[in-house]
Amino acid sequence: MAREKTMKPPHRPSELLDTLKRLGVRLAVAVPDGWLSEILVRIEQEPSMSLIRATHEEEALAISCGAQLGGMRTVLIIQNVGLLTMGAGMVSLAQRYQFPLLILASYRGTPEDATYYHIPKGRVTEPVLRGLSLPYALAESTRPIGHQIEQAATYAEEASSPFVLLLGRGDIKW
Amino acid sequence: MVSNSRPTREDYYRALSDNLPEETLVVTSLGNASYLWATVRDAPENFYLEDAMGLALPLALGLAVAQPNREVVVVEGDGGLLMHMGGLVTVGAVAPNNLTILLIQNGVHAASGGQALTNAELDIADIARAMGLKHAENITSVKEFQSGLVPALKGDGPTLLALATEPDLDAVIPPAMLDPVVTKRRFMEAVGAPRYVSIFFGGGMLSE
Repeated sequence: MAREKTMKPPHRPSELLDTLKRLGVRLAVAVPDGWLSEILVRIEQEPSMSLIRATHEEEALAISCGAQLGGMRTVLIIQNVGLLTMGAGMVSLAQRYQFPLLILASYRGTPEDATYYHIPKGRVTEPVLRGLSLPYALAESTRPIGHQIEQAATYAEEASSPFVLLLGRGDIKW
Repeated sequence: MVSNSRPTREDYYRALSDNLPEETLVVTSLGNASYLWATVRDAPENFYLEDAMGLALPLALGLAVAQPNREVVVVEGDGGLLMHMGGLVTVGAVAPNNLTILLIQNGVHAASGGQALTNAELDIADIARAMGLKHAENITSVKEFQSGLVPALKGDGPTLLALATEPDLDAVIPPAMLDPVVTKRRFMEAVGAPRYVSIFFGGGMLSE
């Protein structure tokens, strides 16, 4: 009698990181979040990528724009609160100059998030993105994350616009 | 007759233009910082900000990281720096040796009509050194500026030169409207930035 094999689900943060490498992303600019701690360390250890730990998300956005200006492919990795704090730079720098920023944001304050104090940020995140006319998508937990990163990167480049992919805990927390 | 004790922004810009190697990349912050530089020395290697106060420095940091073989000069104002002081911390941490910060220290928010700064008396050079910048100097004359600029552009930074500057009396009218996307494309072409190549929903690649 054949033994039934149990399929281990793919490790989504590994797939996410592998996809960034495959896309030629050489610089990640980040501001910390609890869900992001391990993946940021992995990026630091990755020979093909550099990590800049910025002090503020609006600053991180500008660093990312500058690196793109110099011809480097980048990713911004932040908590969703950063989408609230970077608003001025988003409209007057990234959108006005049409930088195709790939932004990966941990989506805190959703019902899956046990940390109650993130809720006020979670509930306004999508209305703020819509208010900024900032294209975004919610990562779907039933689809491979790598393909969703590729689609987000494609959208940013083809639209010459920042694009936000909001990530759940399982997508990003190592 | 009373004379200004500090040089003007234009005095510094003329000296900068006279001492700037052609391939140097220059990022200028909003207002007269951009409009006057576009008047004194327009070049494809210039990236002009017209708004986004406080973001010229972090943008120049990203550029310096992406273009490690080119010298990058950023002109920031003291008001802009105070708005994103954390940006200087990140410069100190990343420490790109090809970045030179020219800080126009005029003690006011010049772009909004000369309104007072939160604190106009800070020793920014001292702060910059404490934040880990390799070189930082307070400059009070064009001669000192020239002496500080030439070694700064030899890849031994990051360097900050805090330029004591007389506040601008008038808003400079730029020689032409600064179209942001044209500015960006012109700049990226000048540095030979790779082009994006589409792959059908595969995330695309840069051409290099």
